[in-house]
Amino acid sequence: MDRSFRTQFNFNTISAFIFIVLGIFLYVIIPSQIDKPLIQLAVGQFNLSPELFPQIIAICMVVLGFWFLYKSFSIDQVNELKNLDKEAITNVIVTLVMMAIYVPLMVNLGFVVGSAIMILSMSTYFGNRNYIFGALISIFLPMLVFVTFRRVLLVELPPFPIDIYPLTNWSLI
Amino acid sequence: MFESFIEGIGLALRWDTMIYISGGLFLGMFVGALPGFTTLMAMAILLPISFFLDPLLGIPFLIGVYKGGIYGGSIPAILISMPGTGAAVATTFDGPSLTKKGQGRKALEMALFSSVSGDLSSDIITIALIGPIAAVALLLGPPELAAILLLALIVISATSSGVFVKGLLMLVVGLFFGMIGQDPIGALSRFSMGIPQIEAGIPLLPMLIGVFALPEIFTNIEKKASSLIKAEDLKVSGARLTWTEFKSCIRTIARSTVIGTSIGMIPGVGQVVAAFMGYAAAKSASTHPETFGEGELEGVAAAEAANNAVNGPTLVPLLTLGIPGDNLTVILVGAFIAQGMRPGPQLMEEQGSLVFAILVAMALANILFLGIGYLCIPFFARVVTIRKSFLLPLTLVFAFAGSWVFRAQPFDLAVLVFFGAFGYIAKKLHFDVTPMAMGFILGPTLEYSFGQSITLSNGELFGYMLFERPITAVILTLTPIVTFLMWRRSNRLRKQFGTEG
Repeated sequence: MDRSFRTQFNFNTISAFIFIVLGIFLYVIIPSQIDKPLIQLAVGQFNLSPELFPQIIAICMVVLGFWFLYKSFSIDQVNELKNLDKEAITNVIVTLVMMAIYVPLMVNLGFVVGSAIMILSMSTYFGNRNYIFGALISIFLPMLVFVTFRRVLLVELPPFPIDIYPLTNWSLI
Repeated sequence: MFESFIEGIGLALRWDTMIYISGGLFLGMFVGALPGFTTLMAMAILLPISFFLDPLLGIPFLIGVYKGGIYGGSIPAILISMPGTGAAVATTFDGPSLTKKGQGRKALEMALFSSVSGDLSSDIITIALIGPIAAVALLLGPPELAAILLLALIVISATSSGVFVKGLLMLVVGLFFGMIGQDPIGALSRFSMGIPQIEAGIPLLPMLIGVFALPEIFTNIEKKASSLIKAEDLKVSGARLTWTEFKSCIRTIARSTVIGTSIGMIPGVGQVVAAFMGYAAAKSASTHPETFGEGELEGVAAAEAANNAVNGPTLVPLLTLGIPGDNLTVILVGAFIAQGMRPGPQLMEEQGSLVFAILVAMALANILFLGIGYLCIPFFARVVTIRKSFLLPLTLVFAFAGSWVFRAQPFDLAVLVFFGAFGYIAKKLHFDVTPMAMGFILGPTLEYSFGQSITLSNGELFGYMLFERPITAVILTLTPIVTFLMWRRSNRLRKQFGTEG
């Protein structure tokens, strides 16, 4: 491959291709993804079809995608995702995994217990070695948030002890 | 309109409103003082609190976070040359030098007084301007509203950080996300892909927290390093600010207030540029410009008055036309919508007294701002030493709790994580999520107004706009010109001051 072309073909070019494909895909799926009205009210009156606005958006995406494709060869930007070092990638992945585990924990064990486990494990991973202080913070602060939301804002967070949530919400996870 | 204003004063004078504003100011200053934790993230995380409160408690609470956050960033900027928020970068030119000279307390007090002065003056200007602008906005019909929304969305995309076409693409992506659910005219199901949880649309709250708060958390966790700041570096020492010193900066504060107020009314420019412009204007007007950058109190006053003066006027286009000027006001739109108040021309007519009450509360917040800031400077100065290893998981817990309470559905937590990952990847690839969030929020209104215009035109849209709606035709004709001018101006400012967004 020609060197100058290689240096110009960059992440923006790939993004532009993705936008073009996404725009075409959107345009194609519009008829199957928009319900048809069961009855037509106000016959003879000009109305905005439910398909028109999505079609305009899909066409705009394709047109802008081509403009972006043309511009991408001359845009001087660094792909910061590619430049992430090993530590950063590990930390982000570990956090995402912890978040994924936190969701069922919070729903099934309750907000306070689930959050305490998450805070303690995450703070330990990110360098805390004072476990007693860590444990106290991990329990006290979610309790404070729980009480504030329940008593002041009058909204519900998953309660503790295990309530009806596992029975009602397992299928949703 | 004047009756609404008088009624608004009565509504705003509530002790519980003052308590919530104080709470918001305190939390805002706390987060603002933490380098890496932005005001935007604080507002996104705390947004759910406002959903379940009376509008006169929830919205002033968020405005308190907004004001406090912008000021809070100046504390570490002055003490350790580490700006807590982007808006405080210009404060690092003179603040740390003053601290080295043993005048840290003076600099912090000057930052506080000039922030409060700039903020209060701009709030008063906002209250004075909003009535007449709203009266004009009420004369606009659906075609004009659609044209103004289109202009605003394109201008915001043009002035967002990075490349114009990338901003426009993010806007289109946001408009697409806004279409998921039901079409605003016939309520027909669209793009729900068989997922029942999005039949009514993508939930606003997890989406906003996801795109604005989670990317900041991911960026902060890239490095494990906890706080490296020593507590002794954060001592607030030296003599207090004298009246003579403050008086000598009044002209600078007034100039910066005018600059900040003007910038606040322009969509997409924001506090960072205002602070740099205020600083540059003060330096060029000074009789001793050589002292700027060497520890000049006037430099701190100029930057801080300008960045805080942006806060009030950003609400003018929001409340009168329903157009949020920046990412912070996008979050405020979320709060207004959750309270059943859709910002726009009708809001001032239907709930004028409530809007004025919020604005009056915003102006009164400055008195509390002064008190809390003055008393808590030593505390906020030490906030920087709090370990990230605790702050980050706590912030995550708040983000998850906030996303849960809206509908109590585990699916919303998945939406939060999806938009968090989306926002993080977008940030790393230099795509600004602000146009996307604006497109998501304003898309249904734009489509509805566009649909009404088609019905009104009886299928003859071009002729109708040209002969019966000349204002719409003028706005649409001006759109490319205004967009080009705004794009050129924001590019020039960005090059001049080296800022993004």
